[in-house]
Amino acid sequence: MLDVNIKKRLGDNSSAFLLDISFSVDGGITVLAGASGAGKTTTLRLIAGILTPDEGIIKVGSETYFDAARNIDLSIQKRRVGFVFQDYALFPHLTAEQNIAYGIKTNSKTAKAEKATEMLELFHIEHIRTRIPREMSGGEQQRVAVARALASDPSVLLLDEPLSAVDVETRSKLLDEIEAAQVKTGIPFLYVTHNEAEAARLGRQRITLEKGRVIKM
Amino acid sequence: MIWDALKLSLLVVSFATVIICVVGLLFAYLLAKFDFRGREFLDALLTMPLVLPPTVTGYYLIFLLGRRGLLGSFLYDLTGWSVVFTWQGAVIAAVVMALPLMIKASRASIESVNPDYEIASYTLGKSKLETFLRITLPLAKRGVLAGLILSFARALGEFGATLMIAGNIPGKTQTMPLAIYEAVASGDDRRAQILALVLTAISLLAVYFTNRISRSQVYG
Repeated sequence: MLDVNIKKRLGDNSSAFLLDISFSVDGGITVLAGASGAGKTTTLRLIAGILTPDEGIIKVGSETYFDAARNIDLSIQKRRVGFVFQDYALFPHLTAEQNIAYGIKTNSKTAKAEKATEMLELFHIEHIRTRIPREMSGGEQQRVAVARALASDPSVLLLDEPLSAVDVETRSKLLDEIEAAQVKTGIPFLYVTHNEAEAARLGRQRITLEKGRVIKM
Repeated sequence: MIWDALKLSLLVVSFATVIICVVGLLFAYLLAKFDFRGREFLDALLTMPLVLPPTVTGYYLIFLLGRRGLLGSFLYDLTGWSVVFTWQGAVIAAVVMALPLMIKASRASIESVNPDYEIASYTLGKSKLETFLRITLPLAKRGVLAGLILSFARALGEFGATLMIAGNIPGKTQTMPLAIYEAVASGDDRRAQILALVLTAISLLAVYFTNRISRSQVYG
């Protein structure tokens, strides 16, 4: 369960932009759609704590991440938010396995290795375990990025146009895998895309943004 | 004589390089990551030793750290000790003179790391310090290493500011560049030659390795 009700003023006076959104999503995958510049990425960044809203509330389950009135503003590190970046932002100097293990929250080396292996298997990427991102295909990088985000046991997963850099054939396969991962983890996924086919395919639940506002839910 | 100067130079440069590494990285990170008032002024101030005549920098060091200096007088009253005419003074001179090279190279390198990597690390629960050590620093290491080697070479060649604050006492504060000066002044050509060759060789190696590191492979 993810509750968002926030306002954020962006840009300077000449190009001011007011993001004023309110929505609530349950489990499953929710598509956050809208033209570019509608505020989709900003919304994700606000939920993750990369940006700070001017006012409002962000709650995940029973945990309040942000509440301007009560002066609550959890740091990025304390929010249990998995984030899949548009360009993946895989650590270029670490292997697939090291990228995935990076955020696993345990001090036990064996537990960490087991969890990393589990994620590698879940996304069928055991064979690229020792490759660094430069040596992976776009689809492989995308799988590692989702695996890395999920390995840290988040309460919600945010995906920022995760398939914009992969070809159409791979895309359909990856969508299957993302859906499977959602079912397996049971946490809400908030999936940003401006691709209508992707949105239609995933969208049992859809939120459409336009110029910083929710126009359809 | 030659050995004394070489040993002292190595002692001074070792201490200076360690200090430059830590302090330089701190300033580089501060300047690269925090947008505060006076940021560019601080950068300019820290760069001053690169453009001022070393004797002027040395003069300021005496003004600050001398027995009757701004900070030095407190230290002297407290402990009866002053850095003037000590090898520690030579370390301070070397640090101040070489620090700008480390800060410049490291700052540029830290700034060139895609901030999304750092944000990704934060979303995975890692602190700023851990993110710096495990993500930013490894990705910025070429520039940081290049800066460190250049600083090492600059510290090794430090002459003017060292002379001002540490003096030229054989066996105590006379580093290699100072020993060369004295050897030439006293007509001891042989000694000057050997010292000059040793210094040249070390500096050449330093620049060679800096270039190799700068051309080594990048990730991404």
